[in-house]
Amino acid sequence: MRRIEASELSAWYGTKQALRDVNMVAEPQAVTAVIGPSGCGKSTLIRCLNRMHEEVPGARVTGKVLFDGQDIYAPDIDPVQIRRRVGMVFQKPNPFPTMTVLDNAVAGLRLGGGLGRAELRERGELALRAAGLWDEVKDWLDQPGARLSGGQQQRLCIARALAVEPEVLLMDEPCSALDPASTLRIEELIEELKANYTVVIVTHNMQQAARVADWTMFVLLGEAVEYSPTRKLFTRPDDKRTEDYVTGRFG
Amino acid sequence: MLETRKRFHDELAALESEILGLGERAQRAVERAVHALVHKDAREADAVVAGDDALDATYLDVEQRILSLLATQTPVASDLRLVSAILHANLHLERVGDQAVNIAKIAKVTMDLPTSQTVVSHLEEMGELVGAMLRTALDAFARRDADLAQTLQAMDEPVDRLNRNMYREVAALASDPHALEWGIRMNVVARQLERVGDHAVDIGEQVAFLLTGEFREFTDASHPTSPLKA
Repeated sequence: MRRIEASELSAWYGTKQALRDVNMVAEPQAVTAVIGPSGCGKSTLIRCLNRMHEEVPGARVTGKVLFDGQDIYAPDIDPVQIRRRVGMVFQKPNPFPTMTVLDNAVAGLRLGGGLGRAELRERGELALRAAGLWDEVKDWLDQPGARLSGGQQQRLCIARALAVEPEVLLMDEPCSALDPASTLRIEELIEELKANYTVVIVTHNMQQAARVADWTMFVLLGEAVEYSPTRKLFTRPDDKRTEDYVTGRFG
Repeated sequence: MLETRKRFHDELAALESEILGLGERAQRAVERAVHALVHKDAREADAVVAGDDALDATYLDVEQRILSLLATQTPVASDLRLVSAILHANLHLERVGDQAVNIAKIAKVTMDLPTSQTVVSHLEEMGELVGAMLRTALDAFARRDADLAQTLQAMDEPVDRLNRNMYREVAALASDPHALEWGIRMNVVARQLERVGDHAVDIGEQVAFLLTGEFREFTDASHPTSPLKA
């Protein structure tokens, strides 16, 4: 669990600026949601939190991102190490289709090497339990991950992210490809995960932010317009632009 | 900017005009009930009682439509506060209508009893005061005027004072059993009018909530700040 602090964070794709001087703090044991219209920069924001943004050709970042005070953009920091410490779950469930359920769960751990079969099995079970999937797949551990339902596949991806014991969990629209029941299941899971992780979630679904997040940030045109306790943002936002967005006065 | 929830916002605006209309009708019912009492006008009293069904129908209609918005539209921010304020004001105004009916019924049963001019003129005054309070509350709602809403607290003080003094005026009628029976019923009328004033203040509090997002009572009966409230 780490406290994430971004200050004066700006990001570009070539000459196009996608984020402007964003300041945010994501507290441990809390869920922070980022909302805003398509193309506002919310996904870019969380991709700056694990140094994935710079993987895009021509992309660059200025400003600071601190994990418990440590600057993850400092010259001596290895971005691969950062990505290991920060788990990421994507919009579309992306298990390795031919790998078994168990192998999917421990895929990240395997990359690190050094673990024997029994230990991998044990860590896989722990991760699948943490992702709320164990009871559904314990008899199917040797089946291909692609056999699972969409919601189960997404929880398998969460298990894969948790298996490497990250400090932070970033979720980019984790439910947008899921049916309502699977969505609620993931939301319940997020609530459980926050006891042990710093969670940052990007969502198009404002009600999802209202349900799962302790803090919500509204991003518009690359700017963090408002960052407030979720209840405040959805009952009496300070900024007129936030008010107009959450009440659907512009989309 | 593209308005993305036009139907929802149109319905919300329609509901607001429903309760403002309900408020006007409830306020008129109170005035007519007091008029019936003061002028011993049985037909007017009957009309107030009969007219309450229409007020109740509006109340139920608004309640159902608000529930439907909550179920289907998940209102947030100022929309959520407006939904909540309409829901509360709706209930207060329905109660005002009921209080007008109570006064009208008392007007009917006391028609043949002797009266006291002092008591009657005080009730008439209370009726005028609470009518003005209801109009103020509805204006403040419609105009989103927090300062106007705040004036309701001061407007309520003479109403409370007249209500508190009523029992002494009634006690003075004790020598004549018929006058006393009338007086006891008039004490109930005063209480009804005092409640109407309180409903107006409560609607004013909803206006303040709508504008600020913070709910607080203008006055707190259990922690009075004014010596008049003691």
